[in-house]
Amino acid sequence: MVARRRKRAARDPEDCIPSPPGYAAIPIKFSEKQQASHYLYVRAHGVRQGTKSTWPQKRTLFVLNVPPYCTEESLSRLLSSCGLVQSVELQEKPDLAESPKESRSKFFHPKPVPGFQVAYVVFQKPSGVSAALALKGPLLVSTESHPVKSGIHKWISDYADSVPDPEALRVEVDTFMEAYDQKIAEEEAKAKEEEGVPDEEGWVKVTRRGRRPVLPRTEAASLRVLERERRKRARKELLNFYAWQHRESKMEHLAQLRKKFEEDKQRIELLRAQRKFRPY
Amino acid sequence: MGPAPTGEQLCGAIGEPEVMEPALEGTGKEGKKASSRKRTLAEPPAKGLLQPVKLSRAELYKEPTNEELNHLRETEILFHSSLLRLQVEELLKEVRLSEKKKDRIDAFLREVNQRVVRVPSVPETELTDQAWLPAGVRVPLHQVPYAVKGCFRFLPPAQVTVVGSYLLGTCIRPDINVDVALTMPREILQDKDGLNQRYFRKRALYLAHLAHHLAQDPLFGSVCFSYTNGCHLKPSLLLRPRGKDERLVTVRLHPCPPPDFFRPCRLLPTKNNVRSAWYRGQSPAGDGSPEPPTPHYNTWVLQDTALESHLQLLSTMLGSAQGLKDGVALLKVWLRQRELDKGQGGFTGFLVSMLVVFLVSTHKIHTTMSGYQVLRSVLQFLATTDLTVNGISLCLSSDPSLPALADFHQAFSVVFLDSSGRLNLCADVTASTYHQVQYEARLSMTLLDSRADDGFQLLLMTPKPMIRAFDHVLHLHPLSRLQAACHRLKLWPELQDNGGDYVSAALGPLTTLLEQGLGTRLKLLAHSRPPVPEWGISQDPPKHKDSGSLTLGLLLRPEGLTSVLELGPEADQPEAAKFRQFWGFRSELRRFQDGAIREAVVWEAASMSQKRLIPHQVVTHLLALHTDIPETCVHYVGGPLDALIQGLKQTSSTGEEALAVAVCCYDDLSRLLWGLEGLPLTVSAVQGAHPVLRYTEVFPPTPVRPASSFYEPLQERSSLLPRLDKPCPAYVEPMTVVCHLEGSGQWPQDAEAVQRVRAAFQLRLAELLTQQHGLQCCATATHTDVLKDGFVFRIRVAYQREPQILKEVQSPEGMISLRDTPASLHLERDTRQLPLLTSALHGLQQQHPAFSGVARLAKRWVRAQLLGEDFTDESLDLVAAALFLHPEPFTPPSSPQVGFLRFLYLVSTFDWKNNPLIVNLNNELTVEEQVEIRSGFLAARTQLPVMVIVTPQDRKHSVWTQDGPSAQILQQLVVLAAEALPMLEKQLMDPRGPGDIRTVFRPPLDIYDVLIRLSPRHIPRHRQAVDSPAASFCRGLLSQPGPSSLMPVLGYDPPQLYLMQLREAFGDLALFFYDQHGGEVIGVLWKPTSFQPQPFKASSTKGRMVMSRGGELVMVPNVEAILEDFAVLGEGLVQTVEARSERWTV
Repeated sequence: MVARRRKRAARDPEDCIPSPPGYAAIPIKFSEKQQASHYLYVRAHGVRQGTKSTWPQKRTLFVLNVPPYCTEESLSRLLSSCGLVQSVELQEKPDLAESPKESRSKFFHPKPVPGFQVAYVVFQKPSGVSAALALKGPLLVSTESHPVKSGIHKWISDYADSVPDPEALRVEVDTFMEAYDQKIAEEEAKAKEEEGVPDEEGWVKVTRRGRRPVLPRTEAASLRVLERERRKRARKELLNFYAWQHRESKMEHLAQLRKKFEEDKQRIELLRAQRKFRPY
Repeated sequence: MGPAPTGEQLCGAIGEPEVMEPALEGTGKEGKKASSRKRTLAEPPAKGLLQPVKLSRAELYKEPTNEELNHLRETEILFHSSLLRLQVEELLKEVRLSEKKKDRIDAFLREVNQRVVRVPSVPETELTDQAWLPAGVRVPLHQVPYAVKGCFRFLPPAQVTVVGSYLLGTCIRPDINVDVALTMPREILQDKDGLNQRYFRKRALYLAHLAHHLAQDPLFGSVCFSYTNGCHLKPSLLLRPRGKDERLVTVRLHPCPPPDFFRPCRLLPTKNNVRSAWYRGQSPAGDGSPEPPTPHYNTWVLQDTALESHLQLLSTMLGSAQGLKDGVALLKVWLRQRELDKGQGGFTGFLVSMLVVFLVSTHKIHTTMSGYQVLRSVLQFLATTDLTVNGISLCLSSDPSLPALADFHQAFSVVFLDSSGRLNLCADVTASTYHQVQYEARLSMTLLDSRADDGFQLLLMTPKPMIRAFDHVLHLHPLSRLQAACHRLKLWPELQDNGGDYVSAALGPLTTLLEQGLGTRLKLLAHSRPPVPEWGISQDPPKHKDSGSLTLGLLLRPEGLTSVLELGPEADQPEAAKFRQFWGFRSELRRFQDGAIREAVVWEAASMSQKRLIPHQVVTHLLALHTDIPETCVHYVGGPLDALIQGLKQTSSTGEEALAVAVCCYDDLSRLLWGLEGLPLTVSAVQGAHPVLRYTEVFPPTPVRPASSFYEPLQERSSLLPRLDKPCPAYVEPMTVVCHLEGSGQWPQDAEAVQRVRAAFQLRLAELLTQQHGLQCCATATHTDVLKDGFVFRIRVAYQREPQILKEVQSPEGMISLRDTPASLHLERDTRQLPLLTSALHGLQQQHPAFSGVARLAKRWVRAQLLGEDFTDESLDLVAAALFLHPEPFTPPSSPQVGFLRFLYLVSTFDWKNNPLIVNLNNELTVEEQVEIRSGFLAARTQLPVMVIVTPQDRKHSVWTQDGPSAQILQQLVVLAAEALPMLEKQLMDPRGPGDIRTVFRPPLDIYDVLIRLSPRHIPRHRQAVDSPAASFCRGLLSQPGPSSLMPVLGYDPPQLYLMQLREAFGDLALFFYDQHGGEVIGVLWKPTSFQPQPFKASSTKGRMVMSRGGELVMVPNVEAILEDFAVLGEGLVQTVEARSERWTV
């Protein structure tokens, strides 16, 4: 460890930082005060032939190992020197598809605590990507002009954000339910229309809403039916009636005893191995 | 046996980083991961793990042989089950002497015999003239008074015979004793030697001379004195071989008189053989009162004469019956585990053997019975017969000259006569000891009859040391105080009888006194038996006061502990004087509500914990009043651990009252909810789901009264916010309450829509509670927080069909089936199982008032060891509940102290790998179901979590341990518990006081790789720390209700927020440990695998860096940057990050 540190100190920082093939490494630090830095591994986003990706080819920069204190805004700010940034998306792990555009409700899907993430940065022009690949760094997440909150500051502001606003919640619930009710009503209307109308082969779909309700098509229901059948059959069967049945049940009993005996022996063996029979 | 994690378990000794090795072979977690069936099959069976037995069909169904059938039948008749039979056989194999050792012992005995008969004789001298004794040896007897008539000379013994259990083959390991009787030649003794200890003086001189000569022999490794059965008038000589056999055997030499030397009629229990004139140096009182009888003295003389006849009796009865011998051996183990056979006046193995003989002679035991049946019969007999009232006798003759049983009852507390009808075998056994034996026998019988658990393990393999068996323990120290007590109690005849042994003389009256005083509070009182000392031949025998301390164990009756009143008779009754005399100045005349005026004693106790300690007040008061033993000599060990669960300010209570106040408030709230008008659906049930509501929260909540100046008010949402410039505000955890609504068909059938409707209910609930009852509420999508009387409740509306909706999966054919999903399991756990568990444990607390204390102490300890976050609250509560629901072989604890000790014992010895911990809440599981659960467990072991806790509501999955602990963490806990238990027990058993009781609660910090020190300013629960800080910060609370009724800051705990971030960011690389109760340090342990260089992978770059090593590009953790990240993420909270870089290498 000590040796390694010395080695690193001796190395010229301008010296090429090792990076995996195809990637460029950009050192990133929280602020100037920190000594050591993490490394962002960046690459132009590209996919193999045949796979689909919603990220625009050539204009997208794929960034690995984004530290937890680095937000989308600060990443956008840090990379803006390379060219105009169109969008930044932080994700937990690499994902080819863009996340669904409609914002998920903050009431029902709270944001998870961030760890190390990956980012897809889309530039306005392809030149931004190549500029970013040549970045030397080290990038500073939090600076005098753009401080990023961490620690106590962050937790207090998070707490303030988390105090709910009942009115906004009510509005959201109402709009959602309205849309939902409408959807359900439409579906019902459609189902009613189709009720009793045979399809092209002449089959009529029987639904629960018909005049004679049928069994729901669930696994539980079918299991229940099977169980009832089995019990009915078992009632009719005679047990220990014929001599062979007698013999077999005796044999079964013996087999059970043998099995139990084997189990017990194994248990004892184990306990003996653990010296569990020493009462002192 | 003690807590001895054996074999593989031991490999993870504390302090080694290997403890956390996540890839321990064959551990449950690992097995779970490797659930691909192919792999589990291909691997050899994991070591130490039970596998389901697979027998081929042919093997199972082959024709039985005659032998096999016989064996099976025998098992069925003679034993409980085949497992028990195998267990008993194994145990006997372990304790019995091997033939090889027997041969070595026999050879040694022959050598001893030769040497003893060759000891030279000495000429006759006066008894008082002991100048002839060589310099290197002291007489092994207190010669008080010294002057005694008679002459002594040494002659080699007339006969040397081996007596006792060795010849019978019933002696058991580990300490093998061989008793050898030396018959002194008739010439040594004179007439009237039975009088005034003359015989005992001669016996002692005889041994002293013998010892001097044998000590010079190179054959012996050690030669020392001891007492026969602890009777200090009767020394014996212990010989041990030299060399590697030193531990093998102890030969005890007992001199005895020639047969028929003493006339039995002189030694009846009503006769006096120690004259007052001689003993006390004064003639008997002038009024001509007869000399007091000396029954114990007489018995000790008689014992010496009967050694051989007892041996003969035993060998004729037990000689040929192996089953009886096995039974005696089992009984000895049983006694030994309960510490009943040791010390002076113990219930020895010899007594049990005689009891077996008695039962054989009364045809209660047959010689063909198995060892197990003998054990059972003897226990049954002990459980049902009270020898303190109805003595038994082995004597068959109806000789009228023999004394009556009543004479013996007069003189002794326990009566069991031998075949001569003159010797009481139980002369030294006190009534308390016998009652303890009886109590244990009764417990064991119920255990054997219940057949639910592994009776063998609990009965014969579990040690029951006093500190773990009794609720409270008290030490009397120093013992010399008892001498004064004897005089105070006027026990001079007893002292005369006991030859000055004031401890034995005082024991009986003392226990009777305390039993009477404790009355209904007491279930059983037991005393430690003074240990039998051993001392070198050149030393004087140890004094009585040197035998350490006298320890009394109290088993309390929980229902008796609630009363602070000792009700006496009415003032005008004649018994009133007696009552007054017994209680002294504490007895007062009181007028009661029914108009009666009675004598009464009232103890001061306000809280539950003080009431539990009333026995302390009773004991000190009575001892001071009646026996002159001052309070300073009574070290009462009942509540030293209470300090750890006491509130911050009230040191008089252990929090049961504060919890009750919170529960009361919750009851009020649920009543409000039931009566709420205007909800679309009415409330059908309100269930608590928080540790406070089952009395197991370590620190009970206090009503919050925030000081407005301390917070940033957020008026429009009527909440308070923490402020940057102030220390972190007090931690307020909302208590979760689940609220069920009446059934309705109107709910949507879509998971997302259900969530919205629930949110609407939460909003409506908040509105109505504010409108109708003026409570401060705050609704979110998942819960509504309600501020009521300073307590904050978090109400969660539950829709009972929601888990089902989450589970529904539609197959391509349109069939709807139900499959568990993480979300549905989580929801089910929170809204169904958690309320059930909470109400069950709430009920348990009503049944056993000590449950709360035990569960909280246990939780406190686990958290103090920084392991609290790996164990869910519920799992620890269930382990604590198991101590009450399955206390065998103990009884349910009535004090937190004993409960906590048993918790440590359970944790350190339970075999989690091969057993589920079944917690039979409300006794819902039948025996058959438990058997089924066990077999199901074995079959599914690899899919189950490391720690499996089964309850009636959760028979298969062990929901509370699903997410941890991992095998390594559990192992760490086991190791810590195994270390803490003996340490704590030693502290509590120390008669000079327990010392620093918090020692076992301080975690070892040297095992961690990095320590992150936190600033107390931002630790809201700083004052709860194990070593409570002398000064801490103001947390913005008022002592009086303030004007502000805004919602206080809820669940804001910076260390927890920090830990969450750390785990999210670095969870792959390191483990983080923290004590949520005011811990000032976070321990970080690198995962051993995380430092192994890995090839580059886009999905696992988290916190790592690429390095070229040997020409290859590999990834290693960027440790320096990570260490700085620790400080960055916790800015303001973190004081320092201490890297102990010497502990790791990248």
